[in-house]
Amino acid sequence: MNFSAIPIIARKELMDSSRDRRALYPLVMSSLFGPLLIGFMLNQIAGQERGAHEIKVAMVGREYAPILVNWLQQQPGVEVIAGPADAEAAVKDRTAEFVVVVDKDFAEKFRDSRPAPVHLYSDSTRLNARSKIRRIRSLLNRFNSEIGAMRLIARGVSPSVATSLKLDEVEVSNAQQRAATVFNIIPMFLILAAFSAGMQIATDSTAGERERGSLEPLLLNPVPRWQVVTGKWMAAALASMVGMMATLLITAYMLSRLPLEDLGVRYHLGQTEILLMILTLAPLALVAPALQIYLACFAKSFKEAQSYMAFLVLAVTIPGVLSTFYPVMNQPWMHPIPILGQYATASDILGGKMPSALGMALAAVAALALAGLFLALATKLLSAEKIIFGR
Amino acid sequence: MIQASDLHKSFGPVHAVNGVSFTAPDGVVTGLLGPNGAGKTTSLRMVYGLMKPDSGTIRIDNRDVTGDPVAAQKHLGVLSDMSGLYPRLTSREHIRYFGQLQGVPAAELEKRMEQLMEILDLKSIADRRAGGFSHGERTKVALARALVHNPQNILLDEPTNGLDVMSTRAVREVIRHLKAENRCVVFSSHVMQEVSALCDRIVVIARGQVVAEGTADELIALAGKSTLEDAFVALVGLQGEAA
Repeated sequence: MNFSAIPIIARKELMDSSRDRRALYPLVMSSLFGPLLIGFMLNQIAGQERGAHEIKVAMVGREYAPILVNWLQQQPGVEVIAGPADAEAAVKDRTAEFVVVVDKDFAEKFRDSRPAPVHLYSDSTRLNARSKIRRIRSLLNRFNSEIGAMRLIARGVSPSVATSLKLDEVEVSNAQQRAATVFNIIPMFLILAAFSAGMQIATDSTAGERERGSLEPLLLNPVPRWQVVTGKWMAAALASMVGMMATLLITAYMLSRLPLEDLGVRYHLGQTEILLMILTLAPLALVAPALQIYLACFAKSFKEAQSYMAFLVLAVTIPGVLSTFYPVMNQPWMHPIPILGQYATASDILGGKMPSALGMALAAVAALALAGLFLALATKLLSAEKIIFGR
Repeated sequence: MIQASDLHKSFGPVHAVNGVSFTAPDGVVTGLLGPNGAGKTTSLRMVYGLMKPDSGTIRIDNRDVTGDPVAAQKHLGVLSDMSGLYPRLTSREHIRYFGQLQGVPAAELEKRMEQLMEILDLKSIADRRAGGFSHGERTKVALARALVHNPQNILLDEPTNGLDVMSTRAVREVIRHLKAENRCVVFSSHVMQEVSALCDRIVVIARGQVVAEGTADELIALAGKSTLEDAFVALVGLQGEAA
C-alpha cells in the first residue's frame, strides 16, 4: 500500500499552522505559564522560610524587660525593634506581622519569680507570617523554660523534676508540605500542555477545513480517508509532543535554579526523571490530538470546535484537582486509564519513586489503542456525506 | 469519457436525483443545464464519488467506478460547488499540495504549475497568501489545483458563478484549451449564455431528471422556440406540467 499522502498532509498542516498566530500563542503560553507559576510559588515559599530565620521582633515596653531583650538579641538572626503604639491595631491593619507587648510590672514580677506578663499579638489567617510567628513563639517558650530551669537549680532542685514530659517534636515543616502541593500540580501542567499544544491543528484541520469549504476539494484527491486523518493527526501529535516536552524542560530548568534545599523537599527532576517523564507522557501526546480530531469532526466551525475543546481541558484538570482532596493516587488500576495513569506515574517519578515498567507499558498500550480507535472513528465521520457536505 | 446511467439519490423524503443518465464523450464540452435545485450538483457529486448513489452506475473511461471514489478521482479533475482555499497558503502552495496528493512527480509538478499559472493569469499572485484574494482569484486557484494532475475528465460545477468579466474569460479560455486537447469536460450552470457560448452538447435537468439533450439548435427545434432561453423555459415547464 502507498502511504505517501500521510507526510504530505502532515507537512502542509504544520506549515499552515506555523503561520497562524492563534496556533503559536497557545503553544508558547501553555509551555511557559505552568513552569513560571510553579517557580513563582516555590520561590515564595522558600523566601518565607528564609525570612523566618531572620526576624525583627517588634516589642512594646523594651525598657521593662532588658533581660528578655538581651536574651532575644543573642539568638541568631533576631533583632528587637521598637513596637507600634497600638499593637492590636497594627497587627489588624497589617503594618506589623506580630507584636510582643511587655507589661510595666514585668521587672518586678520577674524579680519575685512570679509569672511575668508578655502578650503576643498575631493574626493566624496571615499565611505568609505563620513561620515567623512560630519562631517567636518557640523563642519565648525557650526563654521560659531556660529561666525556669535556672530558678530550680538556684533552689537546689533538679530541673528534671519540673519536666513531666520529654517532648521530642518531629517537625514536618509546613513549608515542605506546601512545596509538595506545588510539586503535585507539575503533572497537571504537563498533561494540560499535551492537550493544548496540538489543539489548534486538530481543530483547524478538521472543523476549520469544513468551515472554509476546503474539505470537499481535499477529499477529491485519490487519497484514502484514513491517510487524510492520520496525516492531520501526525501534525497535531507533533505539536502536542513539542509543547509537552518544552513544558517539561522549562520546569526542570526552573527547578534547578530554585533554592529547593531551603524547603527540604525530596523532589528531583534530573536527566533520568526527564526521560522517564517523556516516556510516560508521550502516549498522552498521541491520544489527546486523536480525541480532539474526532470531536472537532462533529463541529461545523472552528468556534464550535473550540467550545468542545474547552470542555475537554476542563475534564483534564479534574484528576489534578481531585488529588489534592483525595490523596489516593497511584493505584494499579489507574495505569491503563489515560490521564489518570499518566498522572499517577508522573507523581511517582517526581517523588523519586521508580515507576513500574508494567504500569508504564500498560498505559502506553492503552493510550495507543485509544488513539487508533479515535482515528478510526474520525475516518468514519469524514466519509459521511452529512459531514462532507453539511455546513 | 463519463457515462452516468440511471442515477438515483434521496435525502429522506426528498428524491433529489430520480434517474439521471448522460454520456459525456472526450473532446466535447457537455453542459448540465437546469434551474437551482434541479439535481445538477448532486449528480456531479455522485460522479466524483463523494456521494454514494442509491442506485445506478458510473463509468469513467470505460471503467466502472461506482463505489470506488479513489479510482475515479485519479482520472478526474473537479472544481466543486465548495472550493474553499487555505487563507495562509499561497497560490503556488495550493497547487503544489494538490499535485503532491495526486502523486505528480516533483519535476513534472513544477513545470505543470508554471503552465497553469500562465494560462490562468495567476503569476502576479503566485506567492501571495489566499487570505485576501477576490472571488475571481480564488476560483482561478481552485481551478488550477483541480487540473494540476492533467486529468482526462474535468467536472466544473458552476465555475463562472459570480465571476467578473476577466475571470470568466480566463475560465472559458481554459475550457476551450481542454477541449482542444481532446479532454472530456462537463460543465454545470444555470446561466443560459454560459452554456450556449461554451457547450457542444446540452443536457437539461429539471426535478432530478433529464428532460432533454442535444445541441443548442436541436433543443430549440425540439421545443419549437426561437431562442435557447425560451426553449429551456418550455422544456423545464413541460416537465412540470407532466409531473
